Amino acid sequence: MSAGVVLYDWTPDVRCYAVRLGLSLMNMTYETRAADMDLPMGQRPAGLRPGERPPVLVAGSVRLSRPGAIMQFVARQPAVARAWLDPAHEWMILDWLDFGATALDTMAAARDIAFGTTLPVLPPMGALVAALRRMEDHMTARAMEGHDWFASPAPSIADVVLFVVFALTVDLGVERDTCPALRRWARRMRGLPGFMVMPGVPDYA
Amino acid sequence: MKRWQPVSVLSDIRRGEVAGVRIDGREVVLWREDTPTPALHAWEDRCPHRGMRLSFGFVRDDALGCLYHGWQFGGGARCRLIPAHPQVRVPASIHVHAYSVREHAGLAWVSMDGAEDFPVGGTGPDNVQPVRTLHVNASVGALRHVTGIAPDAGIAWHGPVGLAVHEPVAGQGMLHVVRVADAEEVPLPALSRWAERLRDAVESGAVTDRIMNELAMGELA
Ligand code: FES
Repeated sequence: MSAGVVLYDWTPDVRCYAVRLGLSLMNMTYETRAADMDLPMGQRPAGLRPGERPPVLVAGSVRLSRPGAIMQFVARQPAVARAWLDPAHEWMILDWLDFGATALDTMAAARDIAFGTTLPVLPPMGALVAALRRMEDHMTARAMEGHDWFASPAPSIADVVLFVVFALTVDLGVERDTCPALRRWARRMRGLPGFMVMPGVPDYA
Repeated sequence: MKRWQPVSVLSDIRRGEVAGVRIDGREVVLWREDTPTPALHAWEDRCPHRGMRLSFGFVRDDALGCLYHGWQFGGGARCRLIPAHPQVRVPASIHVHAYSVREHAGLAWVSMDGAEDFPVGGTGPDNVQPVRTLHVNASVGALRHVTGIAPDAGIAWHGPVGLAVHEPVAGQGMLHVVRVADAEEVPLPALSRWAERLRDAVESGAVTDRIMNELAMGELA
């Protein structure tokens, strides 16, 4: 199966980073087609359809572009450890996965504004700060119950997407000391086998 | 006047952990040794090599290593290893600025102006456990008022619950919550959610009396 998986990837995109991180942590082999969206249409890889934007994961007849769907697809492959979408905690994992994917969209938009313009315009951070706060309160409660991860006893695909949200908000000026519970959780994420960084974003909590 | 500020609950800075905190707009790295008797340190969050943040670094036994080029600093805040030149004896002049730090009532207390006389005793019950630290988008003045912290006190006790605050930067506050360890009648998860409600009320300018009263009554909603 994995022999046929292709990822259209655009390195600086936050959703692409989430997908790369998930594929790497779940130890999935795949082929990368780099798609630089800053280049004109004609210079993008042939397999990418008009209007499509990375990440796009293609596996046989399956063609996915939403990070949450891609994570689920990969986590359900027979060769992947069940813990990434632990059946005993599936609903909670999917709930936080959706929460994270939505925050990721907000973040992608904020980064477009922050880095796509030379004007000193502050991106609209309210929604992201509110999302981080909900994550912080949740992980504080989890820690009190003796849990290390968002939704299940082991790291899940929800942790992957939420980690990207947390890790990249530092780029947008969110101070780390405002989220002590998330900082401790993020350090654990960094210690997982297969962890990889986002180019251009320092590897720290 | 030299003063001590509560800057973090101790549960956020366990053995072998590093955490950057801001105190009055200044960046400080808290770190705890990874040794059988792990001492806590509070240093200026700035590596003497190229000025990068030491709070991005990592603890190795009784030293803090900088993430960028691996310079290692021992408990005395002196640099003791430069990996690019392992043979070189590092001059004593290469060191990090260290602040006074104490552990008391479940909290890390830092003095930015070098106070040594920590006022132990008379500040509350023994056997206190940390609960959590929360960021509050409100001034410390407002927070101290709401939580009932006297002008010269570092912490306010409401029955078995202790509340303390410090200012990371002007206009913002960090609220530290601790509890007497055996006060099981105030469950930690309920206390944590109570603190969230207090934070949300303070931020939105809502009335906080009712929330504070829950603490006085010992009945957290
Ligand atoms: S900046 Fe710290 S070792 Fe170079």
